[in-house]
Amino acid sequence: MNSISRTQSTINLTEPAPLHSVTRAAIDGSLRFPMALWVRGSVFWLLVGSLLSLVAAFKLVVPSFLDGPSFLTYGRLFPVATDLLLYGWATQLGIGVSLWLMARLCGSPLRHTSLLTCAIILWNVAIFLGSLAILCGYSTSVEWLEYPNWASFLLFLSFLLIGVWVVLLFSVRQSCVLYVSQWYLLAAFCSFPWIYATANRLLTWGVIEGSAQGPIHWWYGGNLINLWFTPLALGLGYYIIPKITGGIIANYYLAILGFFSLLLFAAWSGSAALIGGPIPAWMMSAGVVATVLMMIPMVAVVLNFYKMLQGHYVAIVESPALRFTVVGIISYIIFTTLSFFNAIPSFNATLHFTDYTSGRTMLALLGFLSMILFGAIYYILPRLTGIEWPSSSLIRWHFWLATVGVSLMIFSMIFGGVIEGIALEDAAISFVNVLSYAAPWRWLVVFSWILLLFSYGAFARLLLTMRWEAASLQFKYKV
Amino acid sequence: MSRLSSLFLSIALLFLSAWLGIVVYSYLQLGRLTSFAGSDGVLPPDFSGRAILGAQVYAANGCVTCHSQQIRQTSVTRSDIDRGWGKRPSVARDYLRDRTAFLGTMRIGPDLSNVGLRLSDPLWHYQHLYEPDRIVPGSTMPSVRYLFKLQKIQGQPSEEAIPLVGSYAPQQGYEVIPTEDAKNLVTYLLSLKHDYTLPEVSPDVTPTP
Repeated sequence: MNSISRTQSTINLTEPAPLHSVTRAAIDGSLRFPMALWVRGSVFWLLVGSLLSLVAAFKLVVPSFLDGPSFLTYGRLFPVATDLLLYGWATQLGIGVSLWLMARLCGSPLRHTSLLTCAIILWNVAIFLGSLAILCGYSTSVEWLEYPNWASFLLFLSFLLIGVWVVLLFSVRQSCVLYVSQWYLLAAFCSFPWIYATANRLLTWGVIEGSAQGPIHWWYGGNLINLWFTPLALGLGYYIIPKITGGIIANYYLAILGFFSLLLFAAWSGSAALIGGPIPAWMMSAGVVATVLMMIPMVAVVLNFYKMLQGHYVAIVESPALRFTVVGIISYIIFTTLSFFNAIPSFNATLHFTDYTSGRTMLALLGFLSMILFGAIYYILPRLTGIEWPSSSLIRWHFWLATVGVSLMIFSMIFGGVIEGIALEDAAISFVNVLSYAAPWRWLVVFSWILLLFSYGAFARLLLTMRWEAASLQFKYKV
Repeated sequence: MSRLSSLFLSIALLFLSAWLGIVVYSYLQLGRLTSFAGSDGVLPPDFSGRAILGAQVYAANGCVTCHSQQIRQTSVTRSDIDRGWGKRPSVARDYLRDRTAFLGTMRIGPDLSNVGLRLSDPLWHYQHLYEPDRIVPGSTMPSVRYLFKLQKIQGQPSEEAIPLVGSYAPQQGYEVIPTEDAKNLVTYLLSLKHDYTLPEVSPDVTPTP
């Protein structure tokens, strides 16, 4: 008896617990409507955010383009576009997809979803009104926290409301062991309200002395990527990869190492963005050391993923979910490596304040998390609705345009950023000349935004052709 | 259940360590820095009321998206100082007078920590805000014409009218005058200067690393 239960628990530790088909149908049924809102809302903001990013990128090379009205000036348009991608798209869909995943892993359907629906609507209303407010000149001008106080408060409130369901799921969960994905998602859902509330409280809701704002601001920026985006994406990866390849986690202890080292180092890594800045020297050193050590969780996770994927190359080619996930993981490797170089003080002196810095962020957002989120949608929606993806050519367009677009964008921003940085270091080169060195690379960024817009357009088209309402009817008859 | 609580506890402790180290430390130490009473008055000197309003215009239009306000000087770089953007590295106390510290992450435009020292002519700023490309050929700064108003000349031309010759110049009989927002913004820009010395830093001396 004892040995049987032990074997059972060993299996459960290294692969997602299998569910009875009735439970699975109940979970999917309970999440169908909230999920439709999340997917449609976030893809809408993805399209709007990408369009505004394209306009902003174009304004960077042709500054006279649409420069008349105040609400279209670069300094307002660019933050709105970035925030839409960060909160309207990635954060919103990340929340939705992880709630589905948690329900599956906890083995319990969601209850009282009408209140959850209100929370999702609240989130989207806050994003919409907050973006309008920034365009009208009510920005807080704190990077990534530009939404005015009432809008960021509504976002926080909406997140807390959604968090109630996470607590509910964990309190009624069926399986007693926690799978790796659950660790990551739990960490992500603890960290976001913590960092968002702290940063807003100190930087926008009640502003503290300017001298203390720098470290807190970059603590937030680093953590948003390393403690919110990263655990979300890795949690999804740990679920999707073994589900599709049919494997189990290759090395359980490596997974533990990867998880705890990520939490430990990520939380300290933000201040590497202020090397040479007005912060205490020990804080810079802590940031540098933590960012360099972030290679450890990356290698641990990637080794595990690699072993799970080994020998499943046909699945990678055939399953869109796996293909997107693999591109996301490759982006994660490149992102961590770029962060590593950015944290070495002598490189940082050259690379900071150039397109390298923003290219790194775009890679984390559009390459790492977004690709894994796309993969998750390709995995989840057919299971949720019971219908297969209608067009494989649209999926191919989506995948290739997104991959080529992100690669081209990151290549131009990184390479252009290095050239800019070297030129900036040489005081004999005038600033306007530095701009002329950057210009060709910035044109390539404009071009890659066009590719991305087409890619996301293909994805939106694909979602529109999927008839959810019809699918839910079919589903009722089936059950 | 014990596994969930121990997982939760370890997550919370790991977050707490950095939260205490970076956020609480900054709040308690850097947040309690006070201005320095030097022989030539309180340092850093306070902003005027108009400059404070100008900082709000600076925030509303997202100038920080392209312009940093921090001078770096470390053992490996001193190009900020070589470029004439400042005489000494910025220190935490310099930001005491800012409601929001516009440190910035990008230099699509030059650093503005000492723009009031480098470019002290208000007229230059008005012309540059209106038609940046003519004042600095090759500049990628967008015009902020919406901070100015175009009006018909009634009798004598206004004393505040901005002399313009580029493609944005008004037609005959019209003049361009700055709005209150533009005046506040220029006052703020002109007051950006770290020309004072603080005990923790003096010109051309690298602060202790």
